[in-house]
Amino acid sequence: MIGAEAMSVIRYRPRGAREQATAWIGMVIFLGSWAMMFAALFFSYGMLRARLPVWPPPGTPPLPRLLPGINTLIIGLSSVAMQRGLSAARRAQAAAVLPAIAAGFLLGLAFLSLQFVLWTGLWRAGLRPEGGAYPSVFYGLTAIHAIHVAVGLGGLGWLLTRAFFHAFGPARNLGLRLWTGYWHFVGAVWLLMYLTVFLI
Amino acid sequence: MQAIPSEERAAHEELQPIHHEPKSFFFKYLWSLDHKMIGRQFLWAGLGFLLVGGLLAMMIRWQWAFPGKPVPVLGSIFLRSQGGAIGPATYMTIFTMHGLIMIFFAITPVLIGAFGNFLLPLQIGARDMAFPWLNALSFWTFALSLVFVILSLFGELGAAGAGWTTYPPLSTNVGTPGSGQTWMVAAVFVTGVSTIMGGINYVTTVIRHRAPGMTWMRLPLATWGLWLTAILNVLFVPVLGSAALLLLLDRLFGTQFFIAGATASVSGGGDPILFQHLFWIFGHPEVYILILPAWGIVSDLLSFFSRKPANWYRGTVYAMIAVCVLSAMVYGHHMFLTGFTPLLGQSFMLLTLIISVPAELLFLNWLRTVWQGSIRLTTPMLFSLGMLFVFGMGGLTGLYLGATATDIYLHDTMFVVGHFHLTMAAASFVASLAAIYFWFPKMFGRRMNETLGKVHFWITLVCLVTVFSGQLLAGYSGQSRRLYDPYQYTFLKHLLGVNRVASYAAFLLLFAQFIFIYNFIRSLIAGEKAESNPWQVSTLEWFTASPPPYHNYDRIPTVLRGPHEFADPEVRRRLGRDFIGQAEELPEAMPPAVASAG
Repeated sequence: MIGAEAMSVIRYRPRGAREQATAWIGMVIFLGSWAMMFAALFFSYGMLRARLPVWPPPGTPPLPRLLPGINTLIIGLSSVAMQRGLSAARRAQAAAVLPAIAAGFLLGLAFLSLQFVLWTGLWRAGLRPEGGAYPSVFYGLTAIHAIHVAVGLGGLGWLLTRAFFHAFGPARNLGLRLWTGYWHFVGAVWLLMYLTVFLI
Repeated sequence: MQAIPSEERAAHEELQPIHHEPKSFFFKYLWSLDHKMIGRQFLWAGLGFLLVGGLLAMMIRWQWAFPGKPVPVLGSIFLRSQGGAIGPATYMTIFTMHGLIMIFFAITPVLIGAFGNFLLPLQIGARDMAFPWLNALSFWTFALSLVFVILSLFGELGAAGAGWTTYPPLSTNVGTPGSGQTWMVAAVFVTGVSTIMGGINYVTTVIRHRAPGMTWMRLPLATWGLWLTAILNVLFVPVLGSAALLLLLDRLFGTQFFIAGATASVSGGGDPILFQHLFWIFGHPEVYILILPAWGIVSDLLSFFSRKPANWYRGTVYAMIAVCVLSAMVYGHHMFLTGFTPLLGQSFMLLTLIISVPAELLFLNWLRTVWQGSIRLTTPMLFSLGMLFVFGMGGLTGLYLGATATDIYLHDTMFVVGHFHLTMAAASFVASLAAIYFWFPKMFGRRMNETLGKVHFWITLVCLVTVFSGQLLAGYSGQSRRLYDPYQYTFLKHLLGVNRVASYAAFLLLFAQFIFIYNFIRSLIAGEKAESNPWQVSTLEWFTASPPPYHNYDRIPTVLRGPHEFADPEVRRRLGRDFIGQAEELPEAMPPAVASAG
């Protein structure tokens, strides 16, 4: 009755490590779950687009590609910066943590500002949410994504204040690790959104 | 048996999240981090809204039995402006709110919120959930959604009225203007967020906080059911969240995801069918979300009260996993009439009917568990057997709806209503009651009255079967669901008798629930004190005090065996009883040969 196979696999690492791993698993499960939310949004986009004979519908302004392309670079760089901050904290390079997080935060802010430019530009060009499936997809998907970026910026801002007081080190970087994971997720979703909504 | 080194045990003990026992009222009863208290919070909220949903059901039944006549008692309180009778628009809001409240705000919090929270850490030998703070946040997010539900009930132009499925274009501003519908869609989104928070917690807790020796194949089946439910919740509730978000965008910001036809813009609106896809990608796993905890709980209880190990424990686990996987691939059977290609329809039909294989396996396991057992017909056992009966009926009627040929005739009739009530309202409800009767001593430290419980069971079972059989019959005769007054159609006039009998059964069903409420409250105040293991069963939670102390276990137990250790002759010889706890050591040292055979 006693499963010897199971007894042998119980191995514990030091306290902090195990609790951090638990939190990380929770974060991964959350991101997996939330990926389903975005998957449903992309599914909606695909289905609406498949239903229309011409995309974009005649008479609607085309979506720009350059501006969101730059934005893709910006959010990508922001992700890189956060990752550098995390690895600096892990290697105990305390001085490098704060600038990296600051760069990540500012690039995130730049992303949101450029999104705002994108929206106002298209709004002025006459693209309104009431205009049917095409503008609905554009405004709906980018707005829902932007809300996630804004939440992420809140988290990054909090990391920034903590990094200012040198809170992160090799053993203490859980918050940084979790928010960096979230930030990568938001960036990856944007990359997909750029490829599907803007490019093809 | 390979011993677990004591330093590893100590390390595990230390790693369990223990927060200090709160002293103030606020931290003890409101913002409590204790999973047992959060479970009780969900139980109270869920039972309260179960009563609300039940009263709404009574009004629907009244309308079908006596269309247009003033509703006794409830009518004079809530429908005074309409002379006590239910108008067509009010009728729409009543069945909509009944469905949404029952599914999202009654059965989900009771089965998943209350028993998930209460049982998971106790049954795996943990001190609390992996993220206690998130757990408290999950309850209060749920409470916020309840506020939205109440706001919807008092919304301008009435509560939500687009059916529980909330299909557009009826659910858009074109079909249902007014804040009631908006609040309800928002409530579904918010409760979804709460469910996801809970789900993340449950999944992580079972992965990370099992006691030493609690291997996957030693988990109680209730834990398996709740854990798989949590996985489905985490994966598919976000899809509903997405649908709700897009619907809210349509309602509040003028987008046109779901608006089509004359009301859409010239360049072409969206697609109402899209909502059905999103809704049922979530919705079909959801029906298993509501039944998997019931399956798990009943699998355990049948073994406990047959005093036998559950038949082919692993088979039950594999069958539940198979159902989870398949549940994600069958949603199209809700949409046979939306005009997708017959090829797709047949694929969905095939996958749907394949689910009956693991479901059959579960059923055979339950029957073989009971077979030749020393059955103790306690109240929880009666409810478990009752669940088998109503779930059997619900499952078999599902075959007619899974097959395209019969579904085309039966689609959107009362047959569908009878079918899903037998599974969700009867089977899940009866299993919830079994769970309440069974774990009441552990939750509150007192026992419920068995005689009242048995009276409650028999009236409930007979009435449930009568009500929902009546729906099956009416549907088979052609009565569409959601008709305000079915008897306006000549070909449905003769169904008044069937519907009236079902309605009388429903009123009696409500009456029986007052027996339960009386029993519950009386036992809470003055019930017989329960010892730690009143049912003489082997899972971990029965080996700590009733109710468990704040930290659950003084020492984290070391689990030695599976959850259904009954009728072992060796145990009987040494302990003089027919069961042994999962973490209980046999008195004398066991020779290794016996250990591996036992």
